[in-house]
Amino acid sequence: MVTITVNGVRREIQAPNDTPLLYVLRNDLELSGPQFGCGLSQCGSCSVLLDGKEIRSCVTPLSAALGKEVTTLEGLPARWAQQKGLSKVEAEKTLHPIQQAWIEEQTPLCGFCQNGMMIKATELLERNTTPTVAEIKEAFTTSGPSAHLCRCGSYTSIIEAVQRAAQVMAKAR
Amino acid sequence: MATPNEKTVNVFGATLTRRQLMTAGGALFVGFGVVGAAVVKKSVKAVGARNTLDATLPGSWIEIHPDNTILMRTGKSDFGQGTTFTAYRQIVAEELNAPFEAITTVVMGDTDRTPDGSGAFDFLGRGTPNIRKAAAYTYQALLDLASQRLGVPKSQISAKDGVVSGGGKSMSYGELVKGQQLKLTIPVSGDLTSLMGLTVTGNPPMKPVSEYSIVGKSFRNTVTTSKVTAREKWATDVRLPNMLHGRMVHPKTLGSKLVSAGELDKSRFPNAQIVVKGNLVGVVAPTEWEAVRAAQQVASATKWTDWKGLPGSANLFQHLRESADWKTTPVKKSDKTRGEVAPAMAEAAKKLTATYELPFMKHAPIGPTMALADARPDGTVYIYTHNQNPQALRGEIAQMLGTTTDNIVVRSYSGPGHYGRSNGGNAGAEDEAVLLSKAVGRPVRVQWMRPEDFQWSTQSPAAFSDVEIGLDANGKMVAYQVDHYMPAMQDDRPVGAVLAGLPTMAAPNEKADFIGSTANDISDPWVYDGVAILMERGHGTFQVGQKASPLAIGLRDHSMRTPGQFQQNFPRELAISEAAALAKADAIQFRIDHAREERVIGVLKAVREASGWETRSSPRAYPALNDAAALRGRGVSLMFRSGTYWACVCEIAVTPGTGAIAVEKYTIAVDPGIVVNPMQLKRQVEGGAVMGISHALLEEATFDESGITTRDWLTYPILKMADVPEIKVVLLNRPEVGSYGGGSEAANALAAPAIAAALFDATGKIARRLPLKPQYVQALLKA
Ligand code: FES
Ligand code: FES
Repeated sequence: MVTITVNGVRREIQAPNDTPLLYVLRNDLELSGPQFGCGLSQCGSCSVLLDGKEIRSCVTPLSAALGKEVTTLEGLPARWAQQKGLSKVEAEKTLHPIQQAWIEEQTPLCGFCQNGMMIKATELLERNTTPTVAEIKEAFTTSGPSAHLCRCGSYTSIIEAVQRAAQVMAKAR
Repeated sequence: MATPNEKTVNVFGATLTRRQLMTAGGALFVGFGVVGAAVVKKSVKAVGARNTLDATLPGSWIEIHPDNTILMRTGKSDFGQGTTFTAYRQIVAEELNAPFEAITTVVMGDTDRTPDGSGAFDFLGRGTPNIRKAAAYTYQALLDLASQRLGVPKSQISAKDGVVSGGGKSMSYGELVKGQQLKLTIPVSGDLTSLMGLTVTGNPPMKPVSEYSIVGKSFRNTVTTSKVTAREKWATDVRLPNMLHGRMVHPKTLGSKLVSAGELDKSRFPNAQIVVKGNLVGVVAPTEWEAVRAAQQVASATKWTDWKGLPGSANLFQHLRESADWKTTPVKKSDKTRGEVAPAMAEAAKKLTATYELPFMKHAPIGPTMALADARPDGTVYIYTHNQNPQALRGEIAQMLGTTTDNIVVRSYSGPGHYGRSNGGNAGAEDEAVLLSKAVGRPVRVQWMRPEDFQWSTQSPAAFSDVEIGLDANGKMVAYQVDHYMPAMQDDRPVGAVLAGLPTMAAPNEKADFIGSTANDISDPWVYDGVAILMERGHGTFQVGQKASPLAIGLRDHSMRTPGQFQQNFPRELAISEAAALAKADAIQFRIDHAREERVIGVLKAVREASGWETRSSPRAYPALNDAAALRGRGVSLMFRSGTYWACVCEIAVTPGTGAIAVEKYTIAVDPGIVVNPMQLKRQVEGGAVMGISHALLEEATFDESGITTRDWLTYPILKMADVPEIKVVLLNRPEVGSYGGGSEAANALAAPAIAAALFDATGKIARRLPLKPQYVQALLKA
């Protein structure tokens, strides 16, 4: 049995240390944000933040998460609330501006890849508050272990949603 | 027998019976919905009397509740674009004269909870008439009821925003239906579990398009919100008590038989179990990780026979042309075929003769296929999955198990789009999950791994076409002839059933009609009616390797976005651009000059204007090829599909030294008739556009003599964000057309001929084979 911290909560896990974190998140913790897309670190569907850095949970063993902070799509609202110092009541009503932008831009098509897209956007906007289109493209294409792939072709609306979220996040600062 | 409190009314030939409920207002209230069991009409093939809703009852489709909320049910399984949650709702709300927001629940694709079936294709054009008619019938019944309750003739009743008025009184729909039970039998025909499913017939009055107020607005997709906030229940999230995880051990090749299944190493995998049935091998375990590793261990110890019966991708087109059997299957001709080609070609001032080739492509869903099956002791089977034609899947599973469809229930959930792969009922893992569940007596969740999804799924068939065009001295096309060649496109046999040696539909053959037929229909409607002489022929054959494989599977094909039409439109549109160049004409003007239909001309003019197209012939006056400097060109393409006219312009830059093509700007004009939801349509078109660029530049499923060698995103690359051009979408709303055309299908096919034409415009070289990978383009430019 090991303990990991997911979305701010310590969770006890009964699984072998080499179990991919993705299976732990999906099966043991019943989180549905990260998805199994390739299991090969080639697509980004399974992305989560590990201490604020986007990683591929499909190839990350459980042991690598020990002592670190895992944030999944489910944890984005709380992450934002904490960063903004929102009260608990406010926090419960708040989505992360990235999620809000994804809704306003009606970004997902099938949506299966969008977990990873929003996780990547979070990593990007926490480091670069005013990314250019070129920087957004770079972030989603070459900055990680692989490009974040969308088979439905929603890239244009992802770029628009990142730009929208960046504006909202800048204002909230 | 009519009782004193029962009234009957005639509604467009159907009988409406109203009964005042004695217990109205209490918990027994059923609203405006299903009443008892109805007689299944003779015209309806009576399948699945159990575990299905009766489509002849309007309440199976639409329920109006006393609190003014509305529930709608459709068996059409939305595939991720949100159409049932946006356009379908808008269309139903419109026919009902109820607010869009009143439809609070959409039940979709569950075979025991929805009335109709059929696949998710032409989702608006062919998909909406059923629910729209059901709404129209329901609306008429509401008016009849209002007439009785308000004591005013029906002709004096009006309805708006969910409220009926007449004779100075008004009542909300909720009040109107409160305490009422309505029984209206609506006419339905067809076979529920077939590819095309059931059809609602009859002609209830429809709302005139001129009075539309809900259709045409950009409503948001509510499912998008649940997906973005991680509240959506995906097929991948469904868990059942006592469930096991399953992984498959698929054969070594597409023709291998099982010699011996590897023994499970119980010391390492104490809780795992192996299942063998014929050539089907699977492993189950309580945890997913154990199932994955145990399956790997079993796979490494499993012995298969060898098989080498495929030509290999390098020899594909030679094989298709020289060795494939094009004789057994009857040749198809388009209904626009006219005139004598040979004399016209003999007299032509200029001629183009060319062959075009398209590779096998994968649907390549971003998540590999999965299904959870629960084969219960009472003989019923529940399948939880993501599927485009759940009713057809039901039929296939019943056939495999030798049972009746009423024992099978399919529940649909969100999942990764797979673009047609399951429109005939299965995407790959469903039958295997059922077989494993049956074998171990517990629910089993089968998840294919990434390589399996490339190597054991169906693909979009390769094709080639021979085109001949004759031009007169004025550069006008006088004759057009094409011969399209493509192996059978629709193999809906569940692959696990085939491996297990269980009953399935027949392998593609020349005798089947439509589904499973080897015939190659003309799928790309001709749009250049100014051409006097036309011959379009479609030649079909068996799937590559199908006859040679001891498993009878070979390279299994399946319709994929714009099926068949992609394979036929690429040759046509590129050839037309080449013909324009031969005529020294501008490629858009040349098309306009040969078109007669106003909507064809309209969409071409729209894309010309929106793209800032410069009128001139191709190729442009290009500088001498210099390795480093990028050359720029533009090309156009045109298509009519499922009620929608499409035209696109691609502007590209090609670097001769590397052969790399970058699409810099993509402009697309779309005329679907009525635009139901501009925002959603724009997003769908953008997605289709990106997929199309991906098909054109990158996609080819490769294979060797034994099987598919494409196995992951490195061997099957798709377009990445960095390569996405500026995309401009022009929507042409034409309410006067009175119908809604398709949205995103077609968009994925338009890029390829436009990019190839742009390459020609930039360099003077014609690339007649897809994909336009750097190596191919580089070699072409050097030649
Ligand atoms: S599922 Fe992890 S990168 Fe694809
Ligand atoms: S939205 Fe379907 S894969 Fe990205």
